[in-house]
Amino acid sequence: MIEIESMTRYVSPINPAVFPHLAVVLLGIGIFFTAWFFVYEVTSTKFTRDIFKELLVSLVAAIFSGFGVLFLLLWVGIYV
Amino acid sequence: MARGIIRGFIILLSVCCIVSANSETINNDLVIKNVERSIDLQSQLTKIVNKLTVENTGKNPVKSLLFAIEQKHKDGLSYIAAQTRDTSRSALKISETKVQNHPDKLFYKIELKDALSPGRSLAIEVETVSSNELVPHPKEITQKEKQLVRYFGNVYFYSPYTVAKQTSVITLPSRNVENYTKFKPVVQSDSTITYGPYEKVAPFSVEDLILHFENNNKFLTIKKLERVIEISHWGNIAIEETIDLYHTGALLKGSFSRYEYARESKSGQSSVQNFNTILPAAASDVYYRDEIGNISTSHMRIRKDAVELNLRPRFPLFGGWKTHYVIGYNVPSYEYLFNSGDEYLLRMRLLDHVFDDMVVEELVTKIILPEGSHSVKLNAPYSVTRLPDTLHYTYLDTKGRPVITITKNNLVENHIQDFQLRYTFPRLLMLQEPLLVVIALYLLFLLVIVYVRLDFSINKDEVSESKLRIAGRCEKILAAQDRRVNSYNDLDDQLSELKANKNTNTFQAAVKSINQEYKTATNTISELSLKLKGESGDVYERIQELQKLDKALKELYNQQQALYFDKLIPGRIGRQPFVDAESVIIKKKEETVEKINSIVKSLQ
Repeated sequence: MIEIESMTRYVSPINPAVFPHLAVVLLGIGIFFTAWFFVYEVTSTKFTRDIFKELLVSLVAAIFSGFGVLFLLLWVGIYV
Repeated sequence: MARGIIRGFIILLSVCCIVSANSETINNDLVIKNVERSIDLQSQLTKIVNKLTVENTGKNPVKSLLFAIEQKHKDGLSYIAAQTRDTSRSALKISETKVQNHPDKLFYKIELKDALSPGRSLAIEVETVSSNELVPHPKEITQKEKQLVRYFGNVYFYSPYTVAKQTSVITLPSRNVENYTKFKPVVQSDSTITYGPYEKVAPFSVEDLILHFENNNKFLTIKKLERVIEISHWGNIAIEETIDLYHTGALLKGSFSRYEYARESKSGQSSVQNFNTILPAAASDVYYRDEIGNISTSHMRIRKDAVELNLRPRFPLFGGWKTHYVIGYNVPSYEYLFNSGDEYLLRMRLLDHVFDDMVVEELVTKIILPEGSHSVKLNAPYSVTRLPDTLHYTYLDTKGRPVITITKNNLVENHIQDFQLRYTFPRLLMLQEPLLVVIALYLLFLLVIVYVRLDFSINKDEVSESKLRIAGRCEKILAAQDRRVNSYNDLDDQLSELKANKNTNTFQAAVKSINQEYKTATNTISELSLKLKGESGDVYERIQELQKLDKALKELYNQQQALYFDKLIPGRIGRQPFVDAESVIIKKKEETVEKINSIVKSLQ
């Protein structure tokens, strides 16, 4: 068993001071792609739709929004 | 028969062995030369410090000694500790034990660091803290009366050994003493009463001591304290304490007058208006609330080594009244959490300060670990009961967070000590939380993708359908046309460069890819236009027109290129004729482009 003396103090992998910045930037990018996705969905017709473009744009939107939401939660004090 | 007797004898022998292994005997060689006992009754607790000088009068070295507690003080005893009285003041190991022939008394065995050799003596100090030993008398008082309590004790130090000489000093909160046992020699001066010295007292001597005195200090008992420690590996530890507080002093007789309480300073002396809670220095985001929300009557002061919180319940607490509240705060993880790879160690207080001289009847500490933690090992500072592990569900959880629950009854301030909790947590599992959100959002998007593809119309609207189809084709044709226009723009750039530096090789290399781009775009358009033929003759015609004009434009570009190649670069043309010929071509180009643009516009 490892003794406490040889252990290091645990800090978050991401400095809590940057949670607000990360939340704003990631959610900004996420909302941009989400908006693009929905605009594309409502303006394209079934003859002009491109499934690969839809999947790609929504994936990017989901990744950025997902991480953005996490840091937003952490920022407001919901430590998940 | 004989075999049965032998068997019975063996069983009896083994029982004897077990009994003697588990119980101690009183070593009569030990004599306590001197006892200085100080009993502190200033608060609701009974704090006794016994300074003993023990002498070994026997022939064999002694490894341990016994400390006895009377039967009537058994239940109230909350904390006991022993230490040496030399300069090192090192703590001695103390444990509960059983003694032969004395089953009714409570015994503790104090193990000495070094054996006490014959003829030598040793100074040690035993501290005990007991709760619920001060009984209000009278049991009920009115608002303006002062609170009187009674203490039932022993004039002598309760010892399993002979005590050569002893004195006891009792400290009271005030000089107002109604009555005290006058067992000579006894002296009262101000707020202290001194009993003794008494000499040559036999083991287990009891001489009843009754004290009846005024004590208006806080008689507050925490009936139940639930302390929840939630660990987040995003760098935070959240602590929340739910407290059930009772005033266990003399009950309030009659009605409570708010007017009297505010007007007269003597009114409600034994009531509790506010108290101070000390939080760790790193505590932040402190909240103090109950069932109906925030309790605004609190003050937070940040000291150098702690955060001091002055809490004032919604109403003053009189005897028999109770209140319930929740207090919570955050501390950064680096203060209490340590790690080495995936091995983590949490070192925190099992119980924290609520108010000075507090009594906690029941403590339940819950430690909520991150989801996916395993191999949990608890190391408690004193004996506690560990309840079965449970699961806790909160934000972004799937299978629940493991909860370690610890409970213990009858605790006092001396129990504010650190526990250590080891667990293993794979670091990659931290990604589970953001990925859950990502997957949820992606599923939502997929739902939208599927939804827009669903068609619930009963009859097919052929006209608008074909319109949409044509519009879709036109959009693709226009996209191809855009690419073609881009290729023309590139070609223009290359031509002007060629005109300037007359380098045919680089030009030809560049033009090759441009032409390739142009050809694919043109082919796309003609393919798409063929598909359009059956659907809309009109649009088809216009595209044919577009293609024709485009061919003419391309021809003009070829002419321009030929002009540069055949005339300008070899120098077979004068300046003026070249400018004229070039401007003619450029003019024609512009006209054609204009026509193309008007068709493109009509297609949009």
